[in-house]
Amino acid sequence: MQQQQPSPAPPQTAAISAGAPSSDQQTAEAPPKQVALAMDRLAQAGRLIADIRIGADRLLEALFVAASEPHQQSSKPLQLIVKEEASMRQYLQDLRTIGKQLEDSGVLNESLRSRSNSWGLHMPLVCPDGAVVAYAWKRQLAGQAGASAVDRTRLALKAFTDQKRRFFPHLDDAASVESAKKKHCAPVVLEELSELRTLSDILTLVEKEVPNVKTSTYQRLEWLKRASLLPSSESSIESSKDHGFHSKFRQGSVSNVTADKVSVIELLFPSIFRAIISLHPSGSTVPDAVAFFSPDEGGSYMHARGFSAYNVFRHITEHASLALQYFVGINAETALYTLLHWVCSYRTILTKVCSKCGRLLTMDQQSGLLLPPVIRPYRNFSAGKVSSKSSSSEDQSANPIEAFHVACYSEAA
Amino acid sequence: MPIKWVLHWQPNPGTTVNTQILTEVSQCVEGINGVKEGRWKATLSFYKPMVREQANATEFPRDFLGISLQEQPNKYYLVIRGQRLIVEADSTIQTIMEKLQSYKTRVALNFEGFQYQLGDFQLRVGKVVPIHSESLRGIVMEMEYLPISSWEKSHQIMGEFFDIWQEALSKRSLPGHFVHIEPNFAEYGLSDEYSSQHTAAQYASIMAQMIATAQSAQAARN
Repeated sequence: MQQQQPSPAPPQTAAISAGAPSSDQQTAEAPPKQVALAMDRLAQAGRLIADIRIGADRLLEALFVAASEPHQQSSKPLQLIVKEEASMRQYLQDLRTIGKQLEDSGVLNESLRSRSNSWGLHMPLVCPDGAVVAYAWKRQLAGQAGASAVDRTRLALKAFTDQKRRFFPHLDDAASVESAKKKHCAPVVLEELSELRTLSDILTLVEKEVPNVKTSTYQRLEWLKRASLLPSSESSIESSKDHGFHSKFRQGSVSNVTADKVSVIELLFPSIFRAIISLHPSGSTVPDAVAFFSPDEGGSYMHARGFSAYNVFRHITEHASLALQYFVGINAETALYTLLHWVCSYRTILTKVCSKCGRLLTMDQQSGLLLPPVIRPYRNFSAGKVSSKSSSSEDQSANPIEAFHVACYSEAA
Repeated sequence: MPIKWVLHWQPNPGTTVNTQILTEVSQCVEGINGVKEGRWKATLSFYKPMVREQANATEFPRDFLGISLQEQPNKYYLVIRGQRLIVEADSTIQTIMEKLQSYKTRVALNFEGFQYQLGDFQLRVGKVVPIHSESLRGIVMEMEYLPISSWEKSHQIMGEFFDIWQEALSKRSLPGHFVHIEPNFAEYGLSDEYSSQHTAAQYASIMAQMIATAQSAQAARN
């Protein structure tokens, strides 16, 4: 008999994707209650899993006893097995129920993550490897653990780094496997990029190769000030330069004095989108976060770890985070240049049809929303391919990168 | 400001608009996952000049409209479609016009209905009724794409959304269809960046079309 090996995630067969009616029930309760319920259910699931493990042990023990005394006529092991089987069945059934409740409330998938942003609380998210993210370190930031601000920050940083390591390992593994297979792609670009030492070089090159893009760099605090002033027309930004605002708004320029403190890059395609990339450490050329926003959005939530108010840019941001991790995993030195070009490929988000279904808008099954093709594959992406084909005219057919809807891409993959 | 397409219902020749069609349209919006959010309302007035001598009457424009939009509660939009003029005024201009007695309201229409959210899109479905009356004169819809405010850049995506909408609606076999007229915004002096004045221009075009349709229906009946 096979030993049951329960995993933190419930059996896939029992999971039903969250439909509109059940999510309506959830949103009728206030977010703190939802989060408390989710944590309760996670704890219950943990207890059930422990019970299942104990039951499995008991079953093994009974089998062992029966096997070691084959000539005994006692039916005790048999009774034990039957009893355990009944209680195991019950535990598994309960686990399925809890799993369904967790799935419906958005804990095991990300369907409600972007929606349940009210009150500053996030639903806990259980990743495939069992880690719970987006809640533990936020709790610590909110001050529920740790006494002083220093303690809280230290705990938050520790919890965050732990979870980052646990959350991303499968991505980093995949990246190293892929890069081993496709090592021939990287060296082509590396020769050209070996001259790109400074941020300024990289940005100037990107501006030369990509039409219509405007790049700007900022220190972190400067960016926050600018973000709060957005949306505003470019002309008012020009006039505010006279009021002593730092002259960081000139395209692609990084002043020598504070180059070591530059930590935010803004990529703007007028009327299409604005992308924010943060660098870590400041003054380096290593990107550590990216986010997309509408060109008309503004507010202090607009930063490299923020999320747009619009679904299309939220989806792109999520996908872009994976791309960033991938590029940095392959080669941290060229990652920024590759990432910038990859981000620029989204300038066709409003016009380029999906390479699979040939349409611009389709209904995304998971979220029930109409979205354009938000996926641009990053695994085989090479900035060298794009830059060599760039010409003075913005010709879409010369842009080799394909676009897919979320559903079309997962089918094609 | 997010771009918006204003559509109006074109009944098939020989048919008229009725509340059943309005219900079906609203159900269709909910069928494509539209979430009802609230009510919306706009008003439109046709002005006629108060002239002392009738001989001068022809010197004044016949298609002088005033529009108030829910998204701009403090503004009033005055449009002379024939000469492609749009002015954004304070909403108190209506009081001034009444006091001056220079123009009088010939016909006033209400556009009222419900607003629906579909992800990054917003839809409004409204009936056209004269003020102080319940008789349905037409149906209008507003389709808005929230993330983008460039008319040109959003054209393709709005076109596809319009097609998706038409397709969903055609399954209900209604006696008519929605039409989108795109005024030449440059003629009104408007730029690619969308604004409430663009909305006013679209409503003015729709009015011209609806009047023409009503007149031809009238002629057909007589």
